[in-house]
Amino acid sequence: MSDELLALKDVKKYFGLRGVPWQKAQAVRAVDGVNLVVRKGETLGLVGESGSGKSTLARVATRLLDPTQGRVEIGGKDVTKVKGRRLRPIRRRIQMVFQDPQASLNPRQSVATILSTPFRAQGLRPTRAQLVELLEQVGLAEEHLVRYPHEFSGGQRQRIGIARALSVKPDLLVCDEPVSALDVSVQAQVLNLLADLRDELGLSYVLVAHDLAVVRQVADRIAVMYLGTIVEEGPAAQVYESPAHPYTKALLSAVPVPEPGVSRDRIVLTGDVPTPVNPPSGCPFRTRCYKAEDVCATKRPVLEPVEGSTEHRAACYFPELPTSERTQ
Amino acid sequence: MAEPVLEVHDLHVTFSTENGPVPAVDGIDFAVAPGQTLAIVGESGSGKSVSSSAVMGLLPSNADVTGEVLLDGRQLAGLPNDELRKIRGNDIAMVFQDALSALNPYYSVGWQVAEAYRLHHDVPKKVARRRAVEMLDKVGIPDAARRADSYPHEFSGGMRQRVVIAMALVNDPRVLIADEPTTALDVTVQAQIMRLLDDVQDEFGTALILISHDLGVVAEVADDVLVMYAGRAAERGTVRDLFFRAAHPYSLGLLGAMPRVDVPPKPRLTTIPGTPPGPGSITTGCPFQPRCAYTHLVGERCITERPELTPRPGEGDHEAACHLGRRPEVIL
Amino acid sequence: MPDLVWFLIRRLFGALLVMLALSLAVYLIFYAIPADPAHLACGKPCTPDRLEQARHFMQLDQSTLQQYLNFLKGIVAGRTFGDGTAAVHCNAPCFGYSFPLARPVTTLITDRLPITASIALGAAVLWLLFGVSLGVIAALNRGRILDRLAVGVALAGVSTPSFLLGLLAILVFGFWLNMVPVNGYVPLTESPVDWAWHLVTPWIVLAILQAASYIRLTRSQMLEELNLDYITTARAKGAGEARVVLTHGLRGVLVPVITLFGLDLGGLLGGAILTEKVFSMQGLGDLLISAVGQLDVAVVVGVTLFSAFLIILANLVVDIVHGVLDPRVSHG
Repeated sequence: MSDELLALKDVKKYFGLRGVPWQKAQAVRAVDGVNLVVRKGETLGLVGESGSGKSTLARVATRLLDPTQGRVEIGGKDVTKVKGRRLRPIRRRIQMVFQDPQASLNPRQSVATILSTPFRAQGLRPTRAQLVELLEQVGLAEEHLVRYPHEFSGGQRQRIGIARALSVKPDLLVCDEPVSALDVSVQAQVLNLLADLRDELGLSYVLVAHDLAVVRQVADRIAVMYLGTIVEEGPAAQVYESPAHPYTKALLSAVPVPEPGVSRDRIVLTGDVPTPVNPPSGCPFRTRCYKAEDVCATKRPVLEPVEGSTEHRAACYFPELPTSERTQ
Repeated sequence: MAEPVLEVHDLHVTFSTENGPVPAVDGIDFAVAPGQTLAIVGESGSGKSVSSSAVMGLLPSNADVTGEVLLDGRQLAGLPNDELRKIRGNDIAMVFQDALSALNPYYSVGWQVAEAYRLHHDVPKKVARRRAVEMLDKVGIPDAARRADSYPHEFSGGMRQRVVIAMALVNDPRVLIADEPTTALDVTVQAQIMRLLDDVQDEFGTALILISHDLGVVAEVADDVLVMYAGRAAERGTVRDLFFRAAHPYSLGLLGAMPRVDVPPKPRLTTIPGTPPGPGSITTGCPFQPRCAYTHLVGERCITERPELTPRPGEGDHEAACHLGRRPEVIL
Repeated sequence: MPDLVWFLIRRLFGALLVMLALSLAVYLIFYAIPADPAHLACGKPCTPDRLEQARHFMQLDQSTLQQYLNFLKGIVAGRTFGDGTAAVHCNAPCFGYSFPLARPVTTLITDRLPITASIALGAAVLWLLFGVSLGVIAALNRGRILDRLAVGVALAGVSTPSFLLGLLAILVFGFWLNMVPVNGYVPLTESPVDWAWHLVTPWIVLAILQAASYIRLTRSQMLEELNLDYITTARAKGAGEARVVLTHGLRGVLVPVITLFGLDLGGLLGGAILTEKVFSMQGLGDLLISAVGQLDVAVVVGVTLFSAFLIILANLVVDIVHGVLDPRVSHG
């Protein structure tokens, strides 16, 4: 398909973990069989709690990490095995924005140098006008070109990070927790900026975040990860209004709402996320699920369309039925 | 409101640094009654954490603290460290944001909870340990007697935060100060911890001071709210006053900037331009004026005159520090 | 624990390989030197005939590789040089035979080790106590006069050559003040008091030199440690300052200190060369230096291997102690 920007086919990423010198290394199944497509113009929200593998998946998708198994396709082309110099044209189409702008910007480089680096990696020399245009796109000004990262606030640094990613005119930005290090008032500025850039430049996003409210604000489509697998995906409105997977339902119900007196039917999950070293058999969520039955332990459920929808899919033997109205 | 257990009046904290004095908290008042929850809300640099450390007497030696801190009417500020030590962890206890770093990695959790007990009770180690196990069990650590011998790194994030809460509650404190207690936790675990704190309050009548930037958590658990900006109180009132009758442009801005998970998204979030000021940036006028969208309605006064807290319509003692006398209309 | 046993076996096997490689390297280096041990042994006047005889007796007429293999075989089975009545036996484990000293290397090492060990262990206890306490004091008084003083002592210790300090101590305390003996060694078994009396000056000299790095390490680690969140937790629990520092702070400081200590001690047990020379003590260092001067390859190889073994052993012990001190390591 021509409008497929990014496709992940049965991607797995295992890490070796060695705790103590006298113990054997164990495999951490950070990503354990994920199929995912990002189409042109859409914003995919990739949500999950810590240890769900969402950040690892983002890094595999941008080819910063090699998958242990599976395929990464960019623009319909298999790029799983592409390495080194030949990765450059791919990097040009997909750029990444990181969580901590403090750590991802070189403190010894001026903003002009930071913004020129991606150009030079592509063998290009940017003009000053190009750099100024980039800064203006993210709400900064020409005078900022000669400054260094420490002279900026957290929000401004994140803008620089976004400008750097935009410099090579990518089709897709993969943003890993782009606002979680920012204050509330600044977080809103950056979220609005991302929305504006999408409208102006026709960008697509993969937005990796743990904050479900942030993701709802900008995403068209949602994929929910749990223990390295996608347990539910679909159009944002459908997933948020009538989650099909018990995990999604519990997750959404746990988010506090900034309005006193709103009573929410909260499902408080017991226990913690199991370790990805030794995930449960069958459905990874079954150990904490309020609906789990014997069958859940036997075989891992696959993503299947939810009743009444083709786009909305969940990996569950006992999905919640779709509701026509929002539950209060 | 019932008699407050902890009252703070006109608290000032100034750090002396190489670049001269840096004021971090510039005259705030708050009070909390038994069983009640006061939320102190603010962004980085607002002075919310410094205020709580000042109450505990935990600030470094270069901090100059003035004002009144009254526990049951007894002045704490200025007490010698030895006297304060008897109050810390006993009458006023604290729960920190990051449980992994707040726990000592070299000692078992049972030992650490027992230590908190023995610091204020002259009892044999065995008795303290029994008390620790009992407390760990109470905060929901499964198989507490056995797990007491485990070390912090052997627990998950949520369980570690439970340990920290057990440690804070072991002496039945009158006041519990929780500094962003769930910020480092996943949302499903956050729900567990908030429920635990709520249960504890019901059972022991503990007064809770919750320091948070998350308005969702605040809306859910707080009775009263104090909004801080640049070391000063911007607004205070009951939780409904703040969320339904916000009188300060900053509070209003914060509310508009919060995305919500339970309703379809607005096309754009309301934003506050600029960034929160760093500590020590003193203005003669209103500290929020440079970022305020309403300053043109007032004029010069915002720059020249510092607004004091004045009463606003509401349920209780709703006050805001803004020259704009009426409630600001929402500007998008 | 079986994991630990396997770990030990793997590490010891690794150590064996390292020592094999090392012994080969020492052999090759000594045979590359254009000097002939047989020539020295043959005495003056030396006829070609007698030289050949000496060479044959010392088994130097064989190829380098063969000599090396003989050496390895000797460790397992012992060796015999020459034959008939003139034969010299070196029982297994034979790490070579010193012709100039007419003794097996193993005996030489076991004879000299107590002297070196007495110097090293005594000094080690002193410098550990001295270094860690001064480091803690410096950290607690950061920037004040006590801190400057301790850092000054550390700097002086690091920059003073050991022979200078040693000679100075002998001059002042031995000759001018006549307080302590200036040289010689009395075995512990003979008279513990005399033993300590003869050793006290080298202990102090060595301790001053070594303590320097411990003061600096302890100070910087303690300063880092005191900034950690769990130290704030300890204060918030109501712990007094002494408890905060000694119970909560020191534990984390000890981990790197013990690492350094193990390696230093391991290195020193292989011979405190300069100290032994200055105080005229016939320890391992003295043995090694004389052997180098006389091209006594067997002794050089033996002592080098023994020192290497001690350092490898120290590393292993440090790793295990690290696991005991830090539960995060041992419990995975």
